[in-house]
Amino acid sequence: MTTAIQSGGGSLSRPQSSGLADVLDTILDKGLVIDAYVRVSLVGIELLTIDARVVIASVDTYLRFAEAVDRLDISQDKEGLPGLVGNMQEGGAKHKTKGALDAAGDKLREFASDGQGERAPRRSRREGN
Amino acid sequence: MPAHSQTRDSSTEQQTAVYVYGILPADTDIEPGTAGVGDEPGEVRLIRHRDLAAMVSDVRIDKPLGRPEDLTGHEELLDSAARDLPVLPLRFGAVVTDDEAVTSELLQPHYDEFAGALDELDGRTEYVVKGRYDERTLIREVLAENKDAAALSEQVMGRDQDATRDARIQLGEILGNAISAKREEDTRSLGDALAGHVVASAVRPPTHELDAVYTAFLVETSEEPELERALERLARDWEGRVELTLMGPLAAYDFVATIEPGT
Repeated sequence: MTTAIQSGGGSLSRPQSSGLADVLDTILDKGLVIDAYVRVSLVGIELLTIDARVVIASVDTYLRFAEAVDRLDISQDKEGLPGLVGNMQEGGAKHKTKGALDAAGDKLREFASDGQGERAPRRSRREGN
Repeated sequence: MPAHSQTRDSSTEQQTAVYVYGILPADTDIEPGTAGVGDEPGEVRLIRHRDLAAMVSDVRIDKPLGRPEDLTGHEELLDSAARDLPVLPLRFGAVVTDDEAVTSELLQPHYDEFAGALDELDGRTEYVVKGRYDERTLIREVLAENKDAAALSEQVMGRDQDATRDARIQLGEILGNAISAKREEDTRSLGDALAGHVVASAVRPPTHELDAVYTAFLVETSEEPELERALERLARDWEGRVELTLMGPLAAYDFVATIEPGT
């Protein structure tokens, strides 16, 4: 559910509820950490957590960006870009770019449906650009 | 409220423990029948201590937590409370043995901190602004600004991917660095655009290669319309370039750990 507020051009969307990916960002590594407070009675319940949402620059990332340049090619006739020579022959380069976010969403759905998942008592999250 | 006396050493027995969502003022009520997280979810209830309360529900400890509905449930309960009251959200997955432990180990010893933090949050909620670059517009922008990238793009465009692999990697790296720089710049612009309407801000790390901005803001409830107008202006400025989303009001997840007097 998304309400787009159209205001003469750019729109700001106001989703009524957070998507799962946003929920993950919000509640898995934000908020008060209870084990800093409670020493004795914390129950070590098993948590199905997800260690996925990482943005790391890699060769794969770079190749995806380059593919995005290929895709730019096919739309050149429409918008044009000075200084770039359009070469239409292989314009339809594979549209297989998939963002980390979507991939993480898929992964989550997968394990949600079979009840299994990566079982890590603690989520270690590497961050990077 | 029945106290759940636990005998944790008899592992064959089915056991429940107490899942804690967050801390809030005691003068509130949970709608009866509100379901909590977990398999066979318990009813959400409050455990009160003086003028504080912990929002809790019973969970079975022999079932793992963390299904999508557990995650969204946790957040929805806190967010809906945060629309009316100050709430200190706990990170997902806080489970203690029983009601008694919630009082004696959480509410009682940390009464002053919790009460102080709730005062700080009174009348304030969190909003999260997320912006995603339009890939095409962004890459055009970088190619127009960066001669090296433009030259490399001419070398690789439409050519065999394997034959141009090195140039592609080089091009991608330039694009990646340029996008990071734009992200920093646009994150600053977002902060500047909202500066007059927020109490505090916390930049979140990007979770997608094309994330433009991702920042949490602590906002006085009365400023919400102004915040929205400022964002609409920014959305117009960035039309076709960045798609902006405003999430909230939310519980103050990004600010509870760092709240200090005067922030």
